[in-house]
Amino acid sequence: MTPSDDEIQEEIAAHLRMAIADRMARGASRDEAERAARAEFGNVTHVAEVTREMQGGLWLERLGQDLRYGWRALRRTPAFTLVAVLTLALAIGANSAVFTVVDSVLLQPLPFRDPGRLYAVSYLPTNLPFELPPGLDDRLYLEYRRHDLRFERVTGYQRQELTLSGGGDATRVPGARAGATFFAVLGVQPELGRGFTPEEDEAGNDRVVILSDRLWRARFNGDPAILGKTITLDGITRTIVGVMPRGFTFPAASQLWTPLALRLDPGNSFIFPVVGRLRADATPEQAKSELVAIARARPEDPRAAGLTPAAAIIPLQDTVTGKAQASLYILAGAVAFVLLIACANVANLLLIRAATRRHEMALRVALGASRARIVRQLLTESVLIALLGGTAGIIVAFVGVHALLAIAPAGRIPRIDEVHLNGWVLGFTLTVSLVTGILFGVVPARSGARREPREALGHGTRLVGGPHRRLRAGFVTGEIALALVLMTGAGLMIKSFLVMRSLDTGYDASRVVTMAVDLPPIAYADATRIRMFHTQLLERLARIPGVDAVGAVSFRPMAGMGIMGNFSVEGPTPLPHGYSVDKPTVSPGYFGALGIRILAGRDFTAADRAGAPGVVVVSQAVARHVWPGQDAVGKRISMQDDPGPNDWLTVIGVVNDVVQDEQLTRHSTIYLPYLQTTSPGFINHMTYVVRPVPGAANVAPAMRAALRDVDRGVPAQALQTMDQSMLDTIAEPVFQMRLLTAFALLALLLAALGTYGVLAYDVTERTREIGLRLALGATPGNVLRMVLRRTAALALAGALLGLGGALTLTRVLTKSLFEVQPTDPVTLLAVTVVLVLVALAAGFVPAQRATRIRALVALLQD
Amino acid sequence: MNPPRALSRIELLQGTLDLIILQTLRWGPRHGYGIAQMIRASSDDVLQVDTGSLYPALYRLERQGWIAAEWSKSENKQRVRVYTLTAKGRKQLERERSQWEQLSHAIAAILAPSAESEP
Repeated sequence: MTPSDDEIQEEIAAHLRMAIADRMARGASRDEAERAARAEFGNVTHVAEVTREMQGGLWLERLGQDLRYGWRALRRTPAFTLVAVLTLALAIGANSAVFTVVDSVLLQPLPFRDPGRLYAVSYLPTNLPFELPPGLDDRLYLEYRRHDLRFERVTGYQRQELTLSGGGDATRVPGARAGATFFAVLGVQPELGRGFTPEEDEAGNDRVVILSDRLWRARFNGDPAILGKTITLDGITRTIVGVMPRGFTFPAASQLWTPLALRLDPGNSFIFPVVGRLRADATPEQAKSELVAIARARPEDPRAAGLTPAAAIIPLQDTVTGKAQASLYILAGAVAFVLLIACANVANLLLIRAATRRHEMALRVALGASRARIVRQLLTESVLIALLGGTAGIIVAFVGVHALLAIAPAGRIPRIDEVHLNGWVLGFTLTVSLVTGILFGVVPARSGARREPREALGHGTRLVGGPHRRLRAGFVTGEIALALVLMTGAGLMIKSFLVMRSLDTGYDASRVVTMAVDLPPIAYADATRIRMFHTQLLERLARIPGVDAVGAVSFRPMAGMGIMGNFSVEGPTPLPHGYSVDKPTVSPGYFGALGIRILAGRDFTAADRAGAPGVVVVSQAVARHVWPGQDAVGKRISMQDDPGPNDWLTVIGVVNDVVQDEQLTRHSTIYLPYLQTTSPGFINHMTYVVRPVPGAANVAPAMRAALRDVDRGVPAQALQTMDQSMLDTIAEPVFQMRLLTAFALLALLLAALGTYGVLAYDVTERTREIGLRLALGATPGNVLRMVLRRTAALALAGALLGLGGALTLTRVLTKSLFEVQPTDPVTLLAVTVVLVLVALAAGFVPAQRATRIRALVALLQD
Repeated sequence: MNPPRALSRIELLQGTLDLIILQTLRWGPRHGYGIAQMIRASSDDVLQVDTGSLYPALYRLERQGWIAAEWSKSENKQRVRVYTLTAKGRKQLERERSQWEQLSHAIAAILAPSAESEP
């Protein structure tokens, strides 16, 4: 039978009582006897612990002992424990928070049946000036659907936004057009009702809709008798035939689905994503060669000459997570660095602690504890610290995930609504805690156990420095290096952000408020009706008090959308093949409202209307490219490939180029007047730009009211300042910048704490030496410099190492940086200076303390 | 005085404490304090057993089954843990004792000539 802790305590108490009684019997006073007995007995707690250890016992029992002992050891040094646990909680929590996002977005399989067999099918030209998301054109889709043998089923779909009207304000709802096999391919069936039938997937037969669970609950109060009822979408009445299960929102954040119902347009083809469920006996490679064969079997299309299409069968998950992947992995790497720094910090704390526990360890070795046992004991302690840190880290992670989601750019990170803490995250946190506990514990534990008992028990021999000194310096150097890498990353992102913000966009966004509208095709079927709407709304907007200028454009700069195409030029020299321009449609006054300068000629006027001679305004790049060295005004172009006499448009003005897309590049642009546009598709989406006079009240409510006056059924979209639109455009790099900066600051703080801790301990350890120096005539200034020199040496060594790391690692940021090289010398220099200064500041406190050491006291110290 | 006292004490006791405890218990059951007192007295105050060594040793010996322990009341009515030598312990004592005697003979043999050579 092994005695319990209580029994050991009781036995020791009895021993002490007897020792005291004996001494009193020999004539000592009670106080004297107690003091002497205790002094003879030694440290009661130690004896109890060491005794307990001797009991041995089973593996589990020993683990229990180790844990109890570790817990007591940690409670004896609450300050150390608190600092170590907090450091780890922050670092582990930050890692768990980032992992939560990585797990939900990248690692968790898509919420479909057997999602590993879902592949996107793509056959698209690769030599275009812009990148297309994977997909097929409509004709190839129909062909492929007929002939393909490798997929169980394939389906096309296309994202769309529809205006839901009737019963309250009209709103825009994100959704998708989906083929009849869409739900079967994904393996998700409606919760209520049914999917689309093949008949409903045909044009003219397609007035049905399926709702998401959320829309059904929010808009229809979860009406169980919803099937068969109708709703109005873009002015079309559709019958509700199904409600999808909760959480199903594919693609993107779809809230409703209508049939794809392809209508082939003789002049155009449309490209949309296609997904298929691969047969169990087929491979993606087989599907790819089959796709190539089907595509090549078609008659040649002269319009596609010069284009080089490439076939691809891509796991659906990759197309969903796409661009988020790289930036999330960068963040995960950055936050892992923070954890490494925290580990180095705690390892140093443990080394310092081990130095103060030399005597304790020596005693245990002397009493017969094996080295392995002591290593295990110390490791148990560090794992215990890590587990405490991990537990607290879960709270940090919980807060962190909420903070992350709060600053995440809306709609930019896929699957963001699926992000939540789950068992995986808890498992991850636990694993990380255990691994970090061992990681930061193993070196101090090994070196703690290696100590010869003889050395430690011999009092009075204070080595200068001691064997851990170099190890501690190594850890601090390492964490400074890691911090520098992170700070470089953050610095580059910040610089890139500043460059983007100070970018000359070619327009003046200050004070400008935008509002976008989509005119439903039923109510606004022809161009005349649409033009009337725009004219009316422009007039009303111009009448809002405090408004300086108004205008409208079909695709505003940075909208992430646009129409591109080629054109013909009058005269002998044809345009170079492949030269294409942006073709937005604008209202008179648009250039003035957005501060785009007219460099030559004139703006459109109300007289440039249907029936009047066709006119265009070109941007400077077009003028220079097409008519170099000539006056562009008065020249004629056409949007037709083979223009007839009435198809010519006269250039009436030249304006400066503007930054148009998310890559922040300036586009060559030809502006068309909306009053002469006859194709509804070019003017049924329009963005109004309103510039108030300086100091005017918020015009947004009045803009909404003006729209309501013209047509209640048209909801206002993107009602915000142009500046906000610009920020939305660069939301992703800004998000990355914010997180990297947060991690870099955390890293800097930890590195500063680490530097401070090690130098403070250095000074304590060298008290005698410093005292001796002072006694021998060194000035406090000498001592201050001595400590600061050591700080600087550590910081510079770390910085040098970190610069090497930064030069190799920041390359991963290349895609996120705008006009900043990952090796930008200014940034590298700036972060190095900041880091070294912070390290010196951290070293200054112990350095100051060193100068106050009193020579005599130091020399007399034990 | 060199070397430090603490060092010599512990090194002396490392190999021999077990033997001394077992030997002490041959005279009858004793509690921890009693054992310490007895060792001290029977060594003419030369050996002072560190409690930090004694109790761990007692528990180690108990685990090996060489001594047994049980709670009982002492002469002045306090609960004390009393240790008894077991049969296994008695055999162990014989073994250690003969080893010790061999060792001390050997050491004596080594030390004797050098003692003679001294003037």
